[in-house]
Amino acid sequence: MATDDQPPPTDYSPDGVDLTLIRWMLSLTPAERLEFLEERVNEIIAIRELNART
Amino acid sequence: MPERKLIATLRALHDGGVEFILVGGLAAAVNGAPVDTFDVDVVHSRESANVARLLPVLETLDAVFRIQPERRLKPNASHLTSAGHLNLITRYGPLDLLGTIGRDLGYQDLVPHSLELDVAEGLRIRVLDLETLIAIKEELAGEKDRAVLPILRRTLEEKRLEDQRRCGGYPSG
Repeated sequence: MATDDQPPPTDYSPDGVDLTLIRWMLSLTPAERLEFLEERVNEIIAIRELNART
Repeated sequence: MPERKLIATLRALHDGGVEFILVGGLAAAVNGAPVDTFDVDVVHSRESANVARLLPVLETLDAVFRIQPERRLKPNASHLTSAGHLNLITRYGPLDLLGTIGRDLGYQDLVPHSLELDVAEGLRIRVLDLETLIAIKEELAGEKDRAVLPILRRTLEEKRLEDQRRCGGYPSG
């Protein structure tokens, strides 16, 4: 558990996969997952375009 | 670069009455795997009636082959009935139409391994299940496929644990 001076423990599988991320994704509905992915992809593209111009 | 509209691409196929199964990274993400992907991969039915429905949808999407996009080569009925992979670019971003995946698995082979899921308001589509996505990637065993396999396998494990918890059972291991 988390304390004031220590963060809560992480939860990785033996092959290094972040299980907290998987559990968070599974907590969403399929529609929410797709919406999240679409937003993220567009954010990444926007960042790339911003940096391509500088 | 045009904004990616993953949902709009799927909606165009759905509203055009096209029979297809979402596969690849997007299917993995819809199944709950935390993976990023920029393109839409679908296996379409290669039945002539479905190809006839697919062609006008591709027209409205301005779909052309990604290789030499300046030539604006459009897919035709013959291309769409082949077992090969058509790598297209559309007004909404990349779209890969796959006649078959894995060991020559076509639409009819994959239907039993797909789920019908609501992926947006009024948009219910077939999505390949996680077990089959993993099996196909294990068969392909390319570097890109191997890289994503641990995430898919762990997602499947977590999903099964979650299902067991929801059903009131307790995982055995």
